[in-house]
Amino acid sequence: MTGQPVGAVPILQGRLHPLTLVILLVNSIRNFILPAIIVFMVNKSTGGFILLAFLALTVLQTLTRYFTFTYRIEGGELITRHGILERTERHIPLTRVQDLRIEQGVLHRLLKVVDLHVETAGGKGAEASLSVLSRDEAENLRRAVFEQTRTLAQTTGAGASAPLPTPPDEIVRRLSTRELVLAGLTSNRTASALVVVAVAWQLLDDILPKQVYERLLSTVSSNFERWIEHEGHANWIGIAITAMLVIFLGMIFSVAGSIVLFHGFTLSRRGEDLHRAYGLFTRRASSLPRRRIQLLKVEETWLRRVFGLATLRADTAGSQPANPQENRDGRDVLLPVVRREELETVLPVVFPGVESDPSPWRQVSRRAIRRGTLKGALLCGLFAIAALLFERDVFGLWPLVFIPLVYALNVASYRHLGYALSERFFRTRRGWLSRATHLVPIGNAQTIVLKQTPFDRRHGVMTLVVDTAGQAHTGGGPHIRNVPMADAEAVARVLAQRAAQTRYRW
Amino acid sequence: MRKTAEPGGADPALVETTDPINQPAPFASFGPAATPDPFTPLDPRVIKLWRLTSLIGLGIPLGGSLIVGLIVGLAAPEVVGWIFLGWSLLAALCGWIIYWYPPRACEAWGYRIDAKVLETRSGIWFRVIKLLPLSRLQHVDLRRGPLERAHGLASLILHTAGTHEATLVIPGLDADEAARLRDRLVAAGGDDAV
Repeated sequence: MTGQPVGAVPILQGRLHPLTLVILLVNSIRNFILPAIIVFMVNKSTGGFILLAFLALTVLQTLTRYFTFTYRIEGGELITRHGILERTERHIPLTRVQDLRIEQGVLHRLLKVVDLHVETAGGKGAEASLSVLSRDEAENLRRAVFEQTRTLAQTTGAGASAPLPTPPDEIVRRLSTRELVLAGLTSNRTASALVVVAVAWQLLDDILPKQVYERLLSTVSSNFERWIEHEGHANWIGIAITAMLVIFLGMIFSVAGSIVLFHGFTLSRRGEDLHRAYGLFTRRASSLPRRRIQLLKVEETWLRRVFGLATLRADTAGSQPANPQENRDGRDVLLPVVRREELETVLPVVFPGVESDPSPWRQVSRRAIRRGTLKGALLCGLFAIAALLFERDVFGLWPLVFIPLVYALNVASYRHLGYALSERFFRTRRGWLSRATHLVPIGNAQTIVLKQTPFDRRHGVMTLVVDTAGQAHTGGGPHIRNVPMADAEAVARVLAQRAAQTRYRW
Repeated sequence: MRKTAEPGGADPALVETTDPINQPAPFASFGPAATPDPFTPLDPRVIKLWRLTSLIGLGIPLGGSLIVGLIVGLAAPEVVGWIFLGWSLLAALCGWIIYWYPPRACEAWGYRIDAKVLETRSGIWFRVIKLLPLSRLQHVDLRRGPLERAHGLASLILHTAGTHEATLVIPGLDADEAARLRDRLVAAGGDDAV
């Protein structure tokens, strides 16, 4: 590795692996096998012809791609080119590479080859897909990209010309199968199934007086009511068993999903780059320079909190908002499950210096409790009115019983609501049952926004929002309500001024 | 508690009060209090522009509803009086909004550049303050629509790499002033020394 960042001599060049032919063919056959069969069934001779034509076209396409595709790293860029009639040459500056992913499906694993995807900021999806490469080639390419990036950063930054020796991998966290089972059991799917069933059960069985739901049902269907009267009792048991079955199946699916997706999850660090590798059937590996990470979210759903677990999510500037594929691939989480107390050692790996930069949590205005309670109370009141109209009885006021509970909940969540501003980081946390903590390096703040509704103005508070690049997996980034006006303005100014003093690095 | 349900009323005594119970350590650690320059207001000509745009924006649906009302009125002559009354009230409301809103919106708007941070404020009922560190500026658009050109005005559209608040619009600037401001912003933002 020379220290020269720019030069006409390619540092690394190559082409796709010969097995590309096999993989691409299998993929395209898999894609059109079903329509082909249908066509074949409908009309044998025409169907056969269409099938052959498709096959010939696919083979031609595959051959073209294989024989024309070349890549090279040259002058600080990754250059790919392919095509005969329509030549495409793409230059990707290495300093813009956000994320490098290596994926290996079952067939890939049998043939010992991988797909490599290069992502940059702004692009929709992968900027370049090198499919397929041998495992060694992919590893060489990955290494070359990141070493180039490092030398480039070095020469433009400190002006040092000696290349850094590649530091050894440091394993940050491995997940055992036991932890993945736990992750599956405590996943959102299980939680929501549990909640829905529990609430529905509770509501129907305990809270709603018998006459209410009977009247409700009678308006829906008198037939259904008769059915309830005849087989009502047996029916409840049936529903209960079904519900249990649904939960049980949901749990099994979650656990299986968690293991299949994240089997052998390893988060490691090599120098400035974070690596993740995981997957039971399809192996996935991704590398991202840690300075690309825009913000972190520590997510503790209520079910995970019972077990003292949390999820770590991260966004880079390349993160695509609301891409279901990314969630299916497990790209939305940096660490799917981690014990809460371990975060103290994990966070500094992602954001170095965060451990030596503590700051006390500051609370928002106590009026948050009042406003939250008022909102909840209004909702209870509406329910009470509805119930009263149904019941025509004082007992119809039962929803009002929940008002103290609403108050207690608001007090609890107020206690946990807060923000912290330290020398280099801004943190917010919210939620009581389910919690979310956001951590943003101040240098990554793009805009700081303060909003104030007429109600906010009466209470002398504001909502503080910190906008960063790529808020896809972290749920909209840090925003905090009910901050007293003077505090909000002071914090916003400090954030903006500190951000202005740093250079934003992609 | 019930007071909060009243919309819009700004009680000056309440606005200035930060909660005495929740007064954490003073902000000394955040550095000296900012010495803010006054906000630069928008060009007053924008009031006329906004009146015109809201006249167009409200006038089209008003005209449409008048046509619908006339058709209904022809079909059912007995309700024509009510339709006319309703429409007149609506038109009066729109007229009042067109008259009343733009000057106040213009008055609420302001921007300033302070220590390499652009600060804008806007909104009468729903107030918004945006702070943009100029080193985060990706690019700046200067927009001059036909109506804006007719009034000698321009808008600046500032883009950052952010997500939900990635663009910031400063409307109603004098055309020359907008170009000057753009150059100033870009110069401050592109400064590598930061």
